[in-house]
Amino acid sequence: MSEKMGLAPPKSPPIRLTREIVNAGFKQRVDELSGQHSDACYQCGNCSSGCPLAQEMDILPSRVMRLVQLGQSDDIFNSETIWICASCFQCTVRCPKGIDIQAVMDAVRQIAMDEGIDHFGPDQISPELAAEVPQPGLVGVYRKLAT
Amino acid sequence: MAKIAYYPGCALNERSSHLDRSARDATLRLGFELDELDTWTCCGAVPPVSEERVMNLIAPSRILKDVRDSGRDTLITICDFCYNTLKRTNYSIKSDEITRKRVNAFLADDTPERDYLEKDDSLWVDYEGEVKVIHLMEYLRDELGYDKITENLKRSLRGLKIAPYYGCVMLRPQNEIQLDDPENPAIIEDFITALDAQPVKYPYRTECCGSYLSVSSPDASTRLCYRILTSARKNGADAIVVSCPLCFYNLDSRQKAISEAYSDFKPVPIFYFTQLLSVALGVKFGRQGFEKHNVDVTPVLDKIGSSTGKEDEV
Repeated sequence: MSEKMGLAPPKSPPIRLTREIVNAGFKQRVDELSGQHSDACYQCGNCSSGCPLAQEMDILPSRVMRLVQLGQSDDIFNSETIWICASCFQCTVRCPKGIDIQAVMDAVRQIAMDEGIDHFGPDQISPELAAEVPQPGLVGVYRKLAT
Repeated sequence: MAKIAYYPGCALNERSSHLDRSARDATLRLGFELDELDTWTCCGAVPPVSEERVMNLIAPSRILKDVRDSGRDTLITICDFCYNTLKRTNYSIKSDEITRKRVNAFLADDTPERDYLEKDDSLWVDYEGEVKVIHLMEYLRDELGYDKITENLKRSLRGLKIAPYYGCVMLRPQNEIQLDDPENPAIIEDFITALDAQPVKYPYRTECCGSYLSVSSPDASTRLCYRILTSARKNGADAIVVSCPLCFYNLDSRQKAISEAYSDFKPVPIFYFTQLLSVALGVKFGRQGFEKHNVDVTPVLDKIGSSTGKEDEV
């Protein structure tokens, strides 16, 4: 989770786009896994404005969509956003283009995990918490955030 | 008495047993019985992250196929995660031919190897999504009718202001769940009205409580719960009603951390909808498992009128 509270920083370092990176197949892989057409996103920002966890994120969901379109996988993998998303489907319900943004997040998480990036391991949970959280929470967190 | 196939799921079987017990008590008084499946496993809590992860579909599919093979067509669940997982799995088996074939190939393959089950020589029939997965509240609304609840009330909840909390997976994604409007639902409000209590309108009823983030990012969940709880309180709620074990855990147990972080915070008691239902139907307070609650519920119980009928064990 990000150290700072409050809105995500409005400015990020400029992205250098090259044909190699954009065409390296990241977007195609995300679309294939999620069954969505991420190019349909026209950056209205409705997902970000409705996201209950936007304050906790370093890059907003709409920006994740843009980075997917541009094939910027590293920027996404280096962010906290995909691990903060709680899969609550608010963005999916509100997207005016009908994109299942939660499925895109899931796809990005899966690609990250396939590349060996795990966010949450069994050693990171306190025994007290493990003893009292209802099982859907425990099963859910490891299914979503670890391979 | 009508018996309906019932899948409790792991949370209700153990850590949220008070949700399970109050549901069984209440439904008996409404004239039907929750008939727990003979064998069941965890459903996996969340649907697979992509269609490549077929294995995550196998557990829920096996549960659904067992229900169909036992000759029943309806399965009731209460936990919102189980409801979401089973219903979405059923939806993808029904609507997607490739998923259907893959899942059935796995199911057909693994059955003979489960040697703890009796050998089954009956003809294999593909599972095609025949079972209807319904939430207990959906059953109360659509099959039983909320007016049947009102007719059977034994205790008055009149004057009690209750805030409904929907959370995320009970309503969304809407095209697959189709329980109610995902942005402006009414199913819990109508339920509260049927109990003769007063539903409270507040803006955070469908906002996420943090779900499984309470394990991986507890502070984020604490902040979300603070927003939900204070919003309900500001709009006059005496209590919040939920149906999901994880929503209950987050909203109830996080209040300790919230009180430490925010000095202005006043605790709000959390109830499962089945607890309020069985209390209203005359089941003893002592059977509701209130001792499992982190937040004291007595201020709310004091407002509930005494039973007009005979209180009994069930």
